[in-house]
Amino acid sequence: MNYERELLKGNTDALLLCLISHTPMYGYQIIKEIERRSKGYFQFKEGTLYPALHRLERAGLVRGEWQTLPNSQERRYYFITEKGKQVLAERLSIWQDFSTAVNAIIQPIST
Amino acid sequence: MITRLANYLDNLKNCLRLSSEAKKDMLREFYAHLEDRSQELQESGFSEEEAAEMAVKHFGPVKSIAQQTYEIYSSGTWRQAFFAALPHLIISLLFALRAWQNIIWLIIVLLMVIGVVIYGWWHGKPVWLFPWLGYYLIPVIVTGVLLIYLPSNWFLFAALIYLPLALFVLVSVTKQTITQDWLYASVMLLPVPIILGWTLALSLSRDFLSIHRQIQEMASWVALSFLILAVTVATFIRVKQRWLKVSALLAPSLVVLILVAIVSKGTINFWLWLGLASLSIFLILSPAWLERKITNS
Repeated sequence: MNYERELLKGNTDALLLCLISHTPMYGYQIIKEIERRSKGYFQFKEGTLYPALHRLERAGLVRGEWQTLPNSQERRYYFITEKGKQVLAERLSIWQDFSTAVNAIIQPIST
Repeated sequence: MITRLANYLDNLKNCLRLSSEAKKDMLREFYAHLEDRSQELQESGFSEEEAAEMAVKHFGPVKSIAQQTYEIYSSGTWRQAFFAALPHLIISLLFALRAWQNIIWLIIVLLMVIGVVIYGWWHGKPVWLFPWLGYYLIPVIVTGVLLIYLPSNWFLFAALIYLPLALFVLVSVTKQTITQDWLYASVMLLPVPIILGWTLALSLSRDFLSIHRQIQEMASWVALSFLILAVTVATFIRVKQRWLKVSALLAPSLVVLILVAIVSKGTINFWLWLGLASLSIFLILSPAWLERKITNS
């Protein structure tokens, strides 16, 4: 469990940037999207999403903006910035290399 | 709004240590999220109260969210650290360059402090404002020290009027500053015991010419003490963890008071030093108690 939590913690930024890079989203939408795509695998307290989003915003990787929905409710949408796109590309590249290397090691050796 | 959600958001509001503007924005975002989750749960068949309870449970413990948020916003930028350290740096320079006796420089510094404080106060009380605000308390300290020069029969009478008034000013200003975070009031009060220490070291001599000569002799040490204060404040702004912030305020102020005692050549004896050190600890930590009292009331 701790191992999973650590893995998630180490990749939170990349996951959030990846989700926002496709389409700008607000907090609750991000939670629903994570639930849907991971088929409920990622379980965490929803309130902890916001410190993570605000950390990314402080680092200039995302930009938050209040927008009014058709039902006149207001939601804060997060947009990925150019810097965020660059960081995401770097993180994805590192992740690809890492997972390829891990897979190469853990797969049984074929004779 | 459902009482459960309102109570939860109230708790968050009390625990979040952010500027009023950032806090308002954050709570608005939290409310929107809880509203969405609660509505979705109601649509799936839960009652309004059950949905609110579950939404709050999904959102997580208030203290943990507040802590995580604090660690994001608690570390200021280098620019904020510089602006926060600037008033101490200016005082340090005044003494290092022997400009403390130049009335033009003193007026410029005074106008600068007034201008910066007014600007900061009306622009959401940013973190760099509080060290500047501390210099507003100098007249209160100096007035107190000047009471020593009164004839003994007037001294008691003046002290009886001065002490409650000084305490009232100190508590009122502190109360105004702790609305965001009690530590900002501590930063504001940080130079008070040091200024008091230097003023006592000088004022215990009743000969004006002697005071002037003593300031000349001590000027470099006074400059050094304010330079230490500047570094202390910059460190306070930059570090993230709360316990580090408290340590960053406590340790250097006690070191500076040792410096004051050594340079005073016995004018500040051990007991006087102990009094100043106790005052320093009290001024740094008492805003926490005051904040708790205000929150509970």
